[in-house]
Amino acid sequence: MTRRIARLFGRGGDLNPRNMRLGVWAWLIQRISGLVLVVFVVAHVVAISQASLVTKGPLFTILDGLRNPFWYVDRTALAIDLLMLGIIAFHGMNGIRIVLFDTGIGVGLRSHKVIFWTLIAIAVVASGLVIYYGLPMLGGT
Amino acid sequence: MNASRSTPTNVWLWLFQRVSAVLLVVILGVHLWLANFGQASSSLRAVLGVVLVGLALFHGLNGVRTVIFDFNIGAQGRKFTTMLLLLLGVVSLLFGMYGLWPLIVGG
Repeated sequence: MTRRIARLFGRGGDLNPRNMRLGVWAWLIQRISGLVLVVFVVAHVVAISQASLVTKGPLFTILDGLRNPFWYVDRTALAIDLLMLGIIAFHGMNGIRIVLFDTGIGVGLRSHKVIFWTLIAIAVVASGLVIYYGLPMLGGT
Repeated sequence: MNASRSTPTNVWLWLFQRVSAVLLVVILGVHLWLANFGQASSSLRAVLGVVLVGLALFHGLNGVRTVIFDFNIGAQGRKFTTMLLLLLGVVSLLFGMYGLWPLIVGG
């Protein structure tokens, strides 16, 4: 096990940052972000389910309960949400690249890079839109 | 046995992973839109919620399975991992439906 790890990260290893090209970074970040998102989704669902089961009434009341009192007073919660937004945008757009690649679109090295950076640009713009329109509602005003 | 005739499970999982990926990008967009502008009937939101929970669970847990399988864990380990993740998925799905229940029954 240790020998395998040493081979991966050591001199000439595939996961040694010195040897990693764009595609390997994308692959690695896709995996790590995926694992992070599984944890986030569970936390997200548990938090909202808890609120909806404790607070009775229509969904808006429930979400208002989540919005005000303690949750977004704490800026770390907001920071985590923003971080997750970025991670979701990256994972989603890089995932689209993978689907395109698997369907034979943009397989060439050059077009592959163009597609990657175009999708990253879309991810940045989409995150920006969500922050611009969503931040006041999250209580980050 | 009849692996040459029927599509192997792994190929189906690979395909569903891609299909769920595209659907999740679209539905998450709608989800974020509704979270901000919130203009949809509760029945539409209930359907979206159920679909979102189901797709996200499948996509997430199957992704975890893929990552774990990339470490050489042997046939026994693969079987155990699959069973464990399947169990986790079913339990989580039930919990998700429990959480969405007020929305499903109407409110």
